[in-house]
Amino acid sequence: MGKEKIMRLNFGPVHPAMHGVLKVILDVKGDTVIKAQTEIGFLHRASEKIAEMRYFSNYYPIMDKLDYVSALNMEILYASVVEKAANIEIPPRAVYIRTIMAEIQRIMSHLIFIGSFGEDIGNMTGFIWALRERELLMNIVEKVSGGRLAPMYICNGGMFYDFPQGIEEEILKVLSVIENKVNHEYNAMFTKNQIFLSRTKGIGIITTDMIKKYGITGPIARASGINRDLRKVSPYLAYDKVDFDIPTEKEGDTYSRFVVRIREVLESIKIIRQCIKDLPAGPYKTVVPWIIRIPKKDTLVKQESPRGEMGVFLVTDGSDKPYRLKLRSPTFFAIHALQELLVNIKIADIFVIVASIDPVMGEVDR
Amino acid sequence: MEESNEFSYPGLYEVIFMKTEKFINTVLNWGRSNSLWPLTFATSCCGIEMMTFGATKIDSDRFGVLFTGDSPRQSDLILVSGTITKKMARRLLNVYEQMPDPKYVIAIGACNVSGGLYHDSYNTIEGIDRIIPVDVFVPGCPPKPEEFLDAVKVLQKLIKENRSKAQKNGNIGQA
Amino acid sequence: MVILDKLKSTIKGDLEVIDSEPDLLVIKIKNKKLIKKLAWQIKEEFDILYSLAVVDYSPDFELNYIFSNYKNAEILILKVNITEKDFAIDSITDIFNSANWEEREAYDLFGIKFNGHPDLRRILLPEDWPGHPLRKDFKVDDEIRNWTGLDLKF
Repeated sequence: MGKEKIMRLNFGPVHPAMHGVLKVILDVKGDTVIKAQTEIGFLHRASEKIAEMRYFSNYYPIMDKLDYVSALNMEILYASVVEKAANIEIPPRAVYIRTIMAEIQRIMSHLIFIGSFGEDIGNMTGFIWALRERELLMNIVEKVSGGRLAPMYICNGGMFYDFPQGIEEEILKVLSVIENKVNHEYNAMFTKNQIFLSRTKGIGIITTDMIKKYGITGPIARASGINRDLRKVSPYLAYDKVDFDIPTEKEGDTYSRFVVRIREVLESIKIIRQCIKDLPAGPYKTVVPWIIRIPKKDTLVKQESPRGEMGVFLVTDGSDKPYRLKLRSPTFFAIHALQELLVNIKIADIFVIVASIDPVMGEVDR
Repeated sequence: MEESNEFSYPGLYEVIFMKTEKFINTVLNWGRSNSLWPLTFATSCCGIEMMTFGATKIDSDRFGVLFTGDSPRQSDLILVSGTITKKMARRLLNVYEQMPDPKYVIAIGACNVSGGLYHDSYNTIEGIDRIIPVDVFVPGCPPKPEEFLDAVKVLQKLIKENRSKAQKNGNIGQA
Repeated sequence: MVILDKLKSTIKGDLEVIDSEPDLLVIKIKNKKLIKKLAWQIKEEFDILYSLAVVDYSPDFELNYIFSNYKNAEILILKVNITEKDFAIDSITDIFNSANWEEREAYDLFGIKFNGHPDLRRILLPEDWPGHPLRKDFKVDDEIRNWTGLDLKF
């Protein structure tokens, strides 16, 4: 046994099971990983530098492509920071529409997670099913905004268009379909599936100490027993007016990370239903000029994106462009933990653990 | 030197050879065009739309685009979807060189066509045709899954008519 | 915030309060050598380094250490100025482990040296990338745009 050689294995950046362009360099002894290093930056598109060259209103498309799985959350985040810096009040209808769209996007993001997680553990049916449900919501986003993955729906002071007529009933109809599927089909496919359970339970355990050590937030932290969600802790948009729970688990393994996200889908459905019920009438945007100037100040806004706490630190100097825009991305910190998380596990489990982190490299590399 | 203006008819065997070669090529091209196994080079946003392209609503399998294997050694087509950064450029070239001939390239998204949204970024490549020859460009940021389908149809037409970049340059490998 | 008095007692006179809201405290220290001493104090109240935003006011560079915790929504922003002549600061990675990659990013994009960092390499860009792109004097010109990067080693 002592003669076993240490082999260096490169996973990624081009690997079908790797999410995006993450690269993990593994030192392997037999079938067990003894050292793991992560390398990122293969999708560094200079979003922070481009911000210094664009007007405040022209930066939304770049924000879309940051976390491209949850584009609307990113747009809302950027709109919030610009509006906070420029003291723009948005009408209550815009607040509610933003809440609805943010939650729709959160469901879509989690469905992508469920699908790609299923694909990574060899459950292709789960992938096909999750994307089928996602397509229903995609149709709604397309009807509301005109775009699919990168909708370009939010603008300074509100949004570009009001809700089209009759979209509320359609959203409710789609939501009941998804709720039904999540409660029944996904349980049969994932959470009651013996193969899935044996593949995910007890591996990749992130303890509470590790969460605090690496600064991980979002569903991963909630799966390890940390009850923190910015929607409750410092409510923004209309989250203080709706009633919802924060799903938490104690174990911190890949299975609980999956379950937290499944339960978050159901909570989001609850939020959207309440928002549609109380959707106020009135104007949907405050008219703001396209080119605005913001006096010299620093603004920090943080919001709960589907992957964790996303923050923007905006420095303005009185001109019509940001002086500096720093993005705080949640999975940047979560990927840092992989170097500790991937040690002493089997190679076959790497995909499951990386998939359970749910990284989106556009947001990690910026 | 005097050139002979004499016109000579091809011999019987030559005619048979030419006809057979043409027939074989037609059959081969038909086969190639209808079994495009892609290598999914998904780096960013367009990769998510590519997932939709392979999933239920569009169902790329109908046109012979089977998402199987994902190994460069066994694919005919590389679907470059997503921004290629300068750090990634050599990796793309490496993967492309590993593919067997004939190989086809579809560049998806505005970033791969011309730089698109990231045209003034310091770390992206403005169009992957600076690195590898591209058969079909798909504009859009990101394009709809239907446009992926359109690109595949266009590529199939090009292959059938012997007009793809690989066939033009004679890189058709061993038949 | 409770922590302000503690910090004030640690450092006498060198601390300037810029902004104080219920959930947000912005302070500034003039002496960059105090950063480690302060970080130990901050560690008692705040769990993680939320973000490290470097702002280029050439020739001065302003480092915004943003701290957060898991208990409530409180945010502490600590501003430190460093000059281009002495372009280094003490690393706080041994106090806040989450600062590790953020400091590497600041080194990568601005070239700031962090003394005592365990693994100060570039993180987003390749090792042999020329220059530090997020500085204001780095202009995106045609030369850098047309470069394909095929000659990079990493």
